[in-house]
Amino acid sequence: MKIVIIGASAAGISAAKTIKVAEPDTQIVVISKEDSIHSRCMLHKYLGHERDAKGISFVHENFFAENNITWLKNTTVVDLDTDKKFVRTNDNQAIYFDKLLIATGASYFIPPIPGLREAKNVYGFRDLKDAQLLDSECKTAKNAVVIGAGLVGMDAAVALLERGLKVSVIEMMNGIMGLQLDEKSAEAYQQLFEEHGAEFLLSDKVTSVDIDEAGKGRTIHLASGKSVCADVIVIAAGVRPSFDFVEKSGIATKNAILVGDDLQTNIKGIYAAGDVIGISGIWPNAMKQGKIAAINMLGEKLRYEDRYALKNTTNFYGLATLSLGNINPKLKESFDVLIREDRNNYQKVVMKNGIILGVIMQGNINSTGFWQYLIKNKIDVSGIDKDVFDLSYADFYKVDSISGEYLYAI
Amino acid sequence: MKRIIIDREKCDGCLNCNVACISAHEEGSNFYTVNLGSVDSETRNFIKFDAKTGYTPIFCRHCDEPECVLSCMSGAMEKDPVTGHVKYDESKCAACYMCVMNCPFGVLKPDNKTRTKVIKCDFCEEKQDGPSCVKACPKQAIEVKEVSR
Ligand SMILES: Cc1cc2nc3c(=O)[nH]c(=O)nc-3n(C[C@H](O)[C@H](O)[C@H](O)COP(=O)(O)OP(=O)(O)OC[C@H]3O[C@@H](n4cnc5c(N)ncnc54)[C@H](O)[C@@H]3O)c2cc1C
Repeated sequence: MKIVIIGASAAGISAAKTIKVAEPDTQIVVISKEDSIHSRCMLHKYLGHERDAKGISFVHENFFAENNITWLKNTTVVDLDTDKKFVRTNDNQAIYFDKLLIATGASYFIPPIPGLREAKNVYGFRDLKDAQLLDSECKTAKNAVVIGAGLVGMDAAVALLERGLKVSVIEMMNGIMGLQLDEKSAEAYQQLFEEHGAEFLLSDKVTSVDIDEAGKGRTIHLASGKSVCADVIVIAAGVRPSFDFVEKSGIATKNAILVGDDLQTNIKGIYAAGDVIGISGIWPNAMKQGKIAAINMLGEKLRYEDRYALKNTTNFYGLATLSLGNINPKLKESFDVLIREDRNNYQKVVMKNGIILGVIMQGNINSTGFWQYLIKNKIDVSGIDKDVFDLSYADFYKVDSISGEYLYAI
Repeated sequence: MKRIIIDREKCDGCLNCNVACISAHEEGSNFYTVNLGSVDSETRNFIKFDAKTGYTPIFCRHCDEPECVLSCMSGAMEKDPVTGHVKYDESKCAACYMCVMNCPFGVLKPDNKTRTKVIKCDFCEEKQDGPSCVKACPKQAIEVKEVSR
């Protein structure tokens, strides 16, 4: 059987690995528009000059050769024919498949703000290429503006600060990393960033960008009336699944490629996994989806059930945070919001009727992996007679007598 | 593959497994010279205790479907196809701690000293005679056994 995988990142590589372990004789062709394998989650280490391009790869150097996988790099898929079962590439090759996995991820989005899309010094922070372009700007630029204080924006900011630029971060919400943190935990990071030279413009919005003779965006105007100077601008205002090439193929989409529980699209034999299916935007989920799609392409019937995606860990300037679920409940009164703090730690648990809905652990995140399990499986902890902050896996301990693996006693 | 099989009933919380683990990962140290107070001293296995459940050994299972590996974005965590053990390569790790978040049993933790790596059982792979914790357990509450996968 010949399987073609479009995309060589979390979902695509995890699928290719899975297939090679399960059925090594399968012929695999991986196509990617990029020419390197890299982990986006480490782009800041590249831009900050902590690692080179090789250092942010997440596979062995000879991954494709070792696994006998054909890799068409620098190759963009531009069209898909689901009847004749082939994809067409930018260099006009027709690559035929028996089964296809679409793992083309997402791309950043530039909001339609006057001047922003036209300016030549505006960069996203998604691909190695983006980081490389930013890297060369950093050689001369002094003032950087980051639009969006989500995780991607803060990754970019930390690298730009590392490179000695003056960094201003503009954010619509009233705190940084507003989806992952509450006020208190966000302030801790904001303070650390400020100590390292960052400036924050919160609860504010870019309204227009003035462009100079060279075509560069120089002055960024904000809704508050303030303005900020820029030599280089990073846009981190969200991403969109990328699937242009399926437009005429008959594959069902709705802002993302639509898939069933088996990760198959509406067309038999064509699967999709990762950010392109739009149900999560995080690495672990893309990996798991790639794996499950791969197993199903080999004829199994696995369902993608572990869909939990409201989870994140952050580690900036040595301060680690785990955040899970609903950490900023709208109607505070109808939830139990428990907080425990000391000099080095801030911990918060949001619960209702014994079910944990959200957790923040900032500072010490030792052995906190079990919290996700409790939240996503809606495990009732009201019967456990102890302080919720003292819970651990020990309270749910159970061992499979044959394999010796851990289970949950619930 | 080989797995450390746990019998919770036999554990009496002596923590010899902790000491043995720390010592095994500290160059040149042994049971008598190991410095338990040092910030470098990290045990990869844990015994939880409370009045109701008694002592609970929490040891890396080197899972058949390791969530830590599936969540690793740097390639630092890998399941060895030959031994079945989950190996951790500190030099690749970017300390994002998604593995800490995704281990359903809360086995993983950041290192205390630098917060730039993860503390993870390596099955004492470099030692001829197997995991140090198992050798140190006076109760045979932990034993290495061959399990199918
Ligand atoms: C700066 C940054 C930091 C992040 N940090 C974290 C983090 O800490 N934790 C976390 O869980 N997640 C993080 N993420 C999100 C995570 O990187 C994504 O969820 C993950 O990369 C998704 O993987 P994917 O395989 O679905 O797609 P992508 O990683 O987007 O890869 C898409 C692949 O498809 C290829 N491709 C796209 N279109 C075509 C085409 N037409 N033809 C051929 N090839 C094509 C690309 O070349 C690429 O190989 C971060 C993202 C960014 C940008």
